[in-house]
Amino acid sequence: MTREEVLSEIQSRFGDVILDFFDKSAKRVYIELQPRALVPVARHLFAELGARFHIASGMDSRTHLEVLYHFSVEALNLLVSLRVKLDKNDPRVDSLASTIKAAAWIEREMHELLGIQFSGNQDLRRLLLSEEWPAGVYPLRRDYREWDPGAVRDRGV
Amino acid sequence: MSVTMRALLKSPWVFHLSTGSCNNCDIEVLDCLTPRYDIERFGMRLAASIRHADVLLVTGSCNRKSMIRVKRIYEEQVPKPCVVVAIGECAMSRGMFIHSYNCPQPLDRIIPVNVYIPGCPPKPEAIIAGVVKLINKVKASL
Repeated sequence: MTREEVLSEIQSRFGDVILDFFDKSAKRVYIELQPRALVPVARHLFAELGARFHIASGMDSRTHLEVLYHFSVEALNLLVSLRVKLDKNDPRVDSLASTIKAAAWIEREMHELLGIQFSGNQDLRRLLLSEEWPAGVYPLRRDYREWDPGAVRDRGV
Repeated sequence: MSVTMRALLKSPWVFHLSTGSCNNCDIEVLDCLTPRYDIERFGMRLAASIRHADVLLVTGSCNRKSMIRVKRIYEEQVPKPCVVVAIGECAMSRGMFIHSYNCPQPLDRIIPVNVYIPGCPPKPEAIIAGVVKLINKVKASL
């Protein structure tokens, strides 16, 4: 399949759940989805097109918590990023871990650093933060404030 | 000077402890061991185990997880007397990570530090000069 055929198939199959289709360059496409449609679109890319799942990235933008799932279709030299925007008060999205096993740990990391809930991921234990880190404090959020009274933030000179 | 201290200063065995560095300082420490700089001229050897070490070369900005390990290593595992050398900006003041949520304290609040070698990373010459100064300082204090 050519690049145009792949992209037009995605648009025709999932047109009703695609919020924004940004064809950035010959190598890069961003597709913004409704959160409920993430799993079917990811499954289409991963299982049917044979795309490679690279990584997901979470981000706290001014209005939303965003998660981007990066796939590459190697035969076409094309990077496809699926973007979902989540409500800051209840950031919740379906887990990809049952569809793509490699997504389980990056979901764990986004869960502990950004506080995003991945429904369906059974293993959202802490991955990187230390044991004494308080629950419910997410260091990569914009509203993160220092919680540790023992922290030293000057260079002592 | 006691026999122990004389032996220790003649051939201080160094242990290289990375507490979460970017590996740049670690590469410079390894450079010191290459034939070009060759710190074995000063009797220094890289110890394979921390239990054989006389000098701790610490690189990197301690994070919440490595803090407790550094403390435990210094208090329980290193044979005393032991001197601690902080190598690089991160080990001194945490450098650019000073406001990081994961780096709450500088190294010298966790364990006592004898010598600071600034730089990002310090040159091998600076590391050698620092350790030689340290040896002279310990000699003079005896």
